[in-house]
Amino acid sequence: MVLHTLNAPPDSTAFNDCLAAIAPGDALLLLGDGVYCALTATPACDAILRCSAQLYVLDKDARAAGIIGPPDTVTVTDMPGFVALTARYPRQLAWY
Amino acid sequence: MTDAGRNTLIVIRHTPYGSSLARAALDAAMAMAAFEQAIDILFLGDGVLHLMPDQDGAAIGVNNVSKLLASLPLYDIDSVYVDAASAAKYRLATSDTPIAGQFLDQAQIQQLLSRNDHLLGF
Repeated sequence: MVLHTLNAPPDSTAFNDCLAAIAPGDALLLLGDGVYCALTATPACDAILRCSAQLYVLDKDARAAGIIGPPDTVTVTDMPGFVALTARYPRQLAWY
Repeated sequence: MTDAGRNTLIVIRHTPYGSSLARAALDAAMAMAAFEQAIDILFLGDGVLHLMPDQDGAAIGVNNVSKLLASLPLYDIDSVYVDAASAAKYRLATSDTPIAGQFLDQAQIQQLLSRNDHLLGF
């Protein structure tokens, strides 16, 4: 069980490498430039919705970027929620 | 004090000469190994370009990354893994790399990530 944190925009190598590395039982948290992957009805968003991970997006980064109303299956979380995720998942890998 | 029985995987996925990340990754690997931490290294995506043969860092006044890689076994870093799909994309052959690595497919990379206790991404 790995918590993947993605801080890179769609079309980046980080995005593609991260998606390829995700296994069932993992979680993906979008933060920084990664929040653009939660832009509904875009190829990147469709791709993350197809992957096997539980999906999260960091609220303030999403708001700053103008990402309002991400898909229902992407859980909006705050910094304490991020910390809780790091406690729940024994491993974390940062993609940037 | 050693973190007994726990293993750290260093994931390198940036190019060797485009930023200071490569040097930081290898410094972290060697520093941790010096403190008897068990270290494995995975070259993923563009990170496989660390394994190019015929590198000459002196041409731009920096250390030759491939020579650093060749020294890793001296630090007891023996498990080096390579993203096979990316290596193929850059036409890197097993026999040409400065350090011997085990080539892994996508499923094997996922397993590698899930069986290490700590992951460090560079």
